[in-house]
Amino acid sequence: MKRLQLDAIAFLLIISVLGIANLINVNKPKVSEMENRALKQKPEFKVSALLSGSYFSDYTEYYSDTFILRDKLLNISNNIQQALFIKDSDVKIITSDKSKEYNNVPSPTADKSEDDTEDTSGGLLPVRNPGPSFTPAKKNYNEGDGVGYWIVIDGKAVELFKFNKESFDFYAKVLNEYNQKIGGKMPIYSLIAPTNSEFVQLRNYKGITDSQNNAIEYLNTKFSEGITSVNAYDVLNEHKEEYIYFRSDHHWTALGAYYAYTAFMETKGEEPVPLEKYETVRIDNFLGSTYAKTRDKSIEKNPDTIYAYLPFAEYKYEKHRYYESSEADIIDMKYAETKLDKYLMFLSAGDATWAKISTENKNGKKLLVIKDSYGNSFVPFLLPHYEEIYVIDPRFYDFNTSEKNAADFIESKGINEVLFVSYMEDVNYKEYMQSLEELINHE
Amino acid sequence: MVFSSLLFLCVFLLINIFLYYAINNNTYRNAVLIISSLAFYAWGEPIWISVLILSALFNYFIGVSIERNRGSRKGKGILVLAAAANLFVLGFFKYFGFITENINTLLGVNIPIISIGLPIGISFYTFKSISYIVDVYRGEVKAQKSLFKFLLYVSLFHHLVAGPIVRYKDIEQDIENRTLSFESFNNGVSRFIIGLGKKVIIANQANEFSKAFLDMDYSRLPVLGAWAGILLYAIEIYFDFSGYSDMAIGLGKMYGFNYKENFNYPYIAKSATEFWRRWHISLTSFFKDYVYIPLGGNRKHHVRNMLVVWLLTGLWHGASWNFVVWGLYFFVLLVIEKFALLKIEKKIPAVVWRLYFAVVVLVGWVFFYHTDITKTFKFLGIMFGINAPAFSSPEVEIFLNNYVIFIAIALISCTPLMKNIFERIKGSLQKIQIGIYSVDQLIKSTANIAILIVSIIMLVGQSYNPFLYFKF
Repeated sequence: MKRLQLDAIAFLLIISVLGIANLINVNKPKVSEMENRALKQKPEFKVSALLSGSYFSDYTEYYSDTFILRDKLLNISNNIQQALFIKDSDVKIITSDKSKEYNNVPSPTADKSEDDTEDTSGGLLPVRNPGPSFTPAKKNYNEGDGVGYWIVIDGKAVELFKFNKESFDFYAKVLNEYNQKIGGKMPIYSLIAPTNSEFVQLRNYKGITDSQNNAIEYLNTKFSEGITSVNAYDVLNEHKEEYIYFRSDHHWTALGAYYAYTAFMETKGEEPVPLEKYETVRIDNFLGSTYAKTRDKSIEKNPDTIYAYLPFAEYKYEKHRYYESSEADIIDMKYAETKLDKYLMFLSAGDATWAKISTENKNGKKLLVIKDSYGNSFVPFLLPHYEEIYVIDPRFYDFNTSEKNAADFIESKGINEVLFVSYMEDVNYKEYMQSLEELINHE
Repeated sequence: MVFSSLLFLCVFLLINIFLYYAINNNTYRNAVLIISSLAFYAWGEPIWISVLILSALFNYFIGVSIERNRGSRKGKGILVLAAAANLFVLGFFKYFGFITENINTLLGVNIPIISIGLPIGISFYTFKSISYIVDVYRGEVKAQKSLFKFLLYVSLFHHLVAGPIVRYKDIEQDIENRTLSFESFNNGVSRFIIGLGKKVIIANQANEFSKAFLDMDYSRLPVLGAWAGILLYAIEIYFDFSGYSDMAIGLGKMYGFNYKENFNYPYIAKSATEFWRRWHISLTSFFKDYVYIPLGGNRKHHVRNMLVVWLLTGLWHGASWNFVVWGLYFFVLLVIEKFALLKIEKKIPAVVWRLYFAVVVLVGWVFFYHTDITKTFKFLGIMFGINAPAFSSPEVEIFLNNYVIFIAIALISCTPLMKNIFERIKGSLQKIQIGIYSVDQLIKSTANIAILIVSIIMLVGQSYNPFLYFKF
């Protein structure tokens, strides 16, 4: 009986075909639309890179990032995983590494700091994060929550909220610090946006997510005098049957942001501008962040639609990035064409190191909004009420090219009102909070 | 470089196999292996490759020198000093931080802990070299007169980075003279593919899944979640490590080398004693031949010898106290088993043995995984219902429900069940022929090729890294 050598033949054939195909494919892709990132490029052949080993690790990454037919293979890989591993059920749990969600904009002098995985086993063991390290990292925050839980139910992705008391205490402490530094000279508002886990019908899984309403109420007891909490919860709850949250993205829709805006106006005792006054623009086929994370078929079949409301008054929106500044549209249609992140159209990604919106309202009101990405769809509604709106996202603020901390910023711009807009999960996430604290405390 | 990567498969291995088989001369083949192995190592350690080369040089001269002085006092002296030198280098790179930290705590001083990188594979090649010089001294092998052939032994990329700890005496012949055949190449490929599949399809996934439980805040971890988490970790570590050994052994066969098995279905063991006869065999046999037996084995100071071996076994795995504790944990178990439990082995039903073993090995992994001892005890507490927030939680249940297929596949693959079933029906399948091949061969090959293809696809999949904001 002839001994079958099929394995060897197939193996050699496969690696040869792939190896040669990659070799002759000289036009390597530069961008992955699927992942919304630039693909690793061929590293520069430098002696310093060779010695540090970065050339080799970069090359390995470059090779797999630009592998032939990568997009197709990614899709197939995802299908295999869903078929092979996930038993088909209408409810799925997906965990995600929270540190991957938190986006850091690379600074001009990009210093590649790898995560601290000191592998003391000499490479024998699978290296996990965080690795054993001998110098204990300065921890002023609960570091247990490295994992986010997402449940995919009825074609929607919902992040399970796990109330972390320490996180909320820390948020209160930071805001109280702001209050102290700015010293009662102006009103400070805090608006925390709940996520859809509070409102989605979780059927018999109720209780799987903690009450965000209770969390907000707990927080209110911790604020010092001078900080006013805006209750967005009730108005969102009233309108929860409407399209106020996306299914495939972790943000609220512009409609949800609008309702929160009305709550903010109510808190201040002002009249909200009716939604009808805005021209609506509609963008279909939005598959956002949670789709990218889960690549779930039920979500894919039912993409979101973005309804955006165009500002009706004259404005000038300046985005500052380090030493440069440019003008942008508040609802930036160039993002409407992107594959992955159409939500970026709000506030033109909102990723400036700091931004200024000036309007025709000469009423002397100058607002500072310290926000995360939930604020992007919220800020546009504030234009009719203020002369100037400054926007800072603590993740992107650069201390070198701007005032050394928030108090100085407020003073130098003549700001007379401060609003914090963050969503529940960022309050629960230490890295966001630390950047918020740094913003006030930086010397 | 890592075996389970696209670069290794489609570039390094492809070129390497081609060059190796294009050449017809054993010396040049060895040259190809040495150069590519050094390149392979330098890819991951461009600076510390110097330590590897110096270590090989050193042990080469020692080997020659010991052989000249074999049997004499001088020879023994050289051996002892050389072994100490090897261990010192290993200790320096691997344990400097650990030792300094402990001295600082004990004596209250503040010696700065300079972070020295840990050269990959140093634990493996140091042990390989020590086994060589001892074997030369014992006369079990002849000293390798060619520096290059010795360098080949130490640096061969098959087992340099993640083992097994291949003894020089096992491949002494192969270095000189290898018989290559398409059949053994084929067997090697099959074995390599199995290892690749273990790593990419099972271990890498188990890693992701285990994080759901092991990376969460333990004050919210329910009992079931703790067991699920550590089970997934146990799966991960077995498939990762044994997968790597499979790939090494497979590569060996592809190139005409025969390495000994390193794992033998360890999770079907019924006791800790049996487990250690099946897990990381090259390490335990190293300690047996070079530490346990020289110290007196089971004839003199039995328990003391066991203690030394287990402390070293634990410590070898990592420079942290939890690994030492893990070693000690098994020491205690092995002593209890040897002197009490195994004596009444037959009186205990197999199912009880298996339950005992399952608990024992999973608890062991808890020590192994957590470097922070407070977390270890918190986790263990939860496993046994102490201070656990609940028995289960909806997330845990949904999660287990989603991944039950994966866990089932992984657990079955820990056993020789598939292999045994196949062997049983092989007989009848062999009689059916399709073309020149018999059905059993076709089934086996189809399965292997499927594993290869799925592994490559999943390797691409594992590079998936989406960002919310455009990452430039």
